[in-house]
Amino acid sequence: MDRVRAGRWFALLTMTRILGTFVAIGLLLGHRVTTYDVPLAAFTVAWSALTLMLFGRSARLRAAPAAWAVDVLAALALVCASGDWRSPFYIFALTTLVLPATGLPWRGAVASGVAFSAAYAGVAVITRKIPSDTLLNTIRLETLATHLFVPVIVVLALAYAGALLDRLRAAREESERLVLQAERRRIAWDLHDSAKQRVHAAHLMLSALEGRLADGDDRVLAGHALSELRAATADMETSVAELRTPLDGRPVDELLRERARELAPIGHARIDVVGALAPLPPLLAAHTFRIASEALTNAVRHARSDTITVTLDPTHGGGELIVADDGVGLPDPPPAGGHGLRSMRGRAETIGAHLEIGPAPGGRGTRVALALPTPGGPP
Amino acid sequence: MIRLLIVDDHPAMRAGLTAVLRAEPGLVPLATASSAEDLDMAIQRTAPDVVLLDYHLPGADGLRLCRRLKRLAPAPAVLLYSAYADSSLVIPAVLAGADGLLNKSAPAPELFDALRSVARGERVIPPIPRELLAGASEQLAAEQLPVLAMMIDGTPPAEVAETLRLSPGAFSRTLDDMLDRLRVEVPSAA
Repeated sequence: MDRVRAGRWFALLTMTRILGTFVAIGLLLGHRVTTYDVPLAAFTVAWSALTLMLFGRSARLRAAPAAWAVDVLAALALVCASGDWRSPFYIFALTTLVLPATGLPWRGAVASGVAFSAAYAGVAVITRKIPSDTLLNTIRLETLATHLFVPVIVVLALAYAGALLDRLRAAREESERLVLQAERRRIAWDLHDSAKQRVHAAHLMLSALEGRLADGDDRVLAGHALSELRAATADMETSVAELRTPLDGRPVDELLRERARELAPIGHARIDVVGALAPLPPLLAAHTFRIASEALTNAVRHARSDTITVTLDPTHGGGELIVADDGVGLPDPPPAGGHGLRSMRGRAETIGAHLEIGPAPGGRGTRVALALPTPGGPP
Repeated sequence: MIRLLIVDDHPAMRAGLTAVLRAEPGLVPLATASSAEDLDMAIQRTAPDVVLLDYHLPGADGLRLCRRLKRLAPAPAVLLYSAYADSSLVIPAVLAGADGLLNKSAPAPELFDALRSVARGERVIPPIPRELLAGASEQLAAEQLPVLAMMIDGTPPAEVAETLRLSPGAFSRTLDDMLDRLRVEVPSAA
């Protein structure tokens, strides 16, 4: 259905229907098929234009079996009106199969072709144009068989082409994904193998130097430089983690449920993830997930709690995320940079979100609340 | 005087380590190696007391190298030096027979202490978190658990093999299998 909704096959419908219309009008006016050829030709043009306009405008209509059925019935009515199943409207009628053949899975597509052929056989019976010797007359039999089998063949060919295109598209997406993944791994490797090793080397040399400095300003300065280098290493580790396991556009709640399942065997707390957030831009989603994941890991590892609840609320501003546990709570005074709190604050700052870490209501446990920025609001 | 061999594939790390260790009294960096092939040559040439071995070398697994070093007679002490701040490396390091495991972000005095400790025959292994041990025992086969327990306890590998009545070959294969089961995912250029 996505295929017809996307309108990829609408061009084929347009071309074949215009062709079918021309064939029908040409035969009607050139061969004087009925006594009302001109009004029939006019109706054909009008119907053709109307259906193309409606199918062209509405993706919902393109994917609606009821609309297809109306289209088929109209075409068969035209065949009946022409008085014979060997009709100027045969090609026109075949064009009604384009949407079902490309929109349905192949079984459904084949079924629609068979149903069309059965209906066409019905029309042949109604128009009383099947002489009794048809089964003995090769040419008549061949004409009837052609009229009845062509729809099935058309449908099969279209369905096959559609499936093939889908597979091709999936293969291309997969190869693009693999290329992207390889590239990410390479960047992660560069970052890890080169940049981080240099930072480690600098840290090592500076720490050796620090030992030789007398107590005083120089030593304090070296201490600050060392802590900066350690922070840089931590940053790089985070980036490597993000490059290795990107979120790939998956929703935050799904990722958190997965994380909760991973963490469940480690502690003995029950972890509930409630609700979902509205779809977030990739960067916002990545930081939101990592903050929540860090909070969740802390709750599991350090809080000694029985239950941990992650609540996702899309209605509150740009969205709100709360991780609450009923454990031992934060140490007093709370650790300045420990437990990944610094990295959580840094992430919140990066995305312009408001992060609150404190005791849970009721005084037992810890509550981490992240209020996401309103989309389009001040950064 | 402790004679050292430094094995690290990164030039900055090799240069930094050499400079820092040379300035420390009692520690003598004899040579550096950047790959497994270099290491073989350097070992023969220098016969160090302690090998400071990078956990992750391109084209070689630090753990396998560590096992190979510990099979030499006499075997040098091995201090595995890792850039991953991940405690999941501890158990594999212990199984590989490393005398110590140190993170590359540790300040220099900590590195000096670790080198001196392993040279004295002591072990410098960080504490193993309970959840990690639980995870490892799930990944290992039941009959491998005694090996894990004894190795963590610091029993010499030869004694572990003897206690469990394993031939040296069988014991070596068991360790290989255990390390495979506990293989730690590291980002690779592949």
